[in-house]
Amino acid sequence: MVSKKIYRTLVPTASLLLVLLFVYTATSKLLDLDTFKWRLAQMPHLSAHADLLQWGVPFSELTITGLLLSPKFRTLGLYASFALLGLFTIYIIAVLASDHPTPCSCGGIISTLGWREHILFNGAFMLMALGAILQSRRQTK
Amino acid sequence: MKAKFFKLLLPAFAIIMAVGMAFATEEANSTQTGYYDHPILGVQAIPTDCPETGQVLCMEGQWQVFKDPALTIPLYERFE
Repeated sequence: MVSKKIYRTLVPTASLLLVLLFVYTATSKLLDLDTFKWRLAQMPHLSAHADLLQWGVPFSELTITGLLLSPKFRTLGLYASFALLGLFTIYIIAVLASDHPTPCSCGGIISTLGWREHILFNGAFMLMALGAILQSRRQTK
Repeated sequence: MKAKFFKLLLPAFAIIMAVGMAFATEEANSTQTGYYDHPILGVQAIPTDCPETGQVLCMEGQWQVFKDPALTIPLYERFE
């Protein structure tokens, strides 16, 4: 009974917060695509793929948003959110581990976060997505 | 009614809020203009994310980047 109550709030809440995050970052990138592409071109290991990532990243974020909004595909959206945030976090850690200057290609006010704060921010959302995934799986069993 | 609110209105509100926030913070996200002195072309403007404080000078290739066209305010690389 308690588990059902937790499911009723945790999964939709996590989904809604992830929708908020991804719509915000995708829109920020799409509003100034040239700047986003320029920043990607400055990033180590990504500059060669700037053309692809310029569209791929916001498109992925919006696709995940669509999955999260659909009750049928919500769990898939949570998995995709976790994976995408994990990829971003791994990349940030790799850049920090190198001695390369770090222009931020983050969306919007997230740019004002330092890279270490950005890792914590991503980590918090990943934990939230993971919690929602676990709860969703428990509920479907 | 309550179900309709949670299933439709709340997500719609979240999307509208996210899009609104993106427009509101658009300026904070944009790059600033930096300047460097090209030996042949003269002072050139480029987009840059380099801040005014730091330890390593911001460079565009082999040329130092400044905040102003007069090349008096140096910019620095962003290391974290």
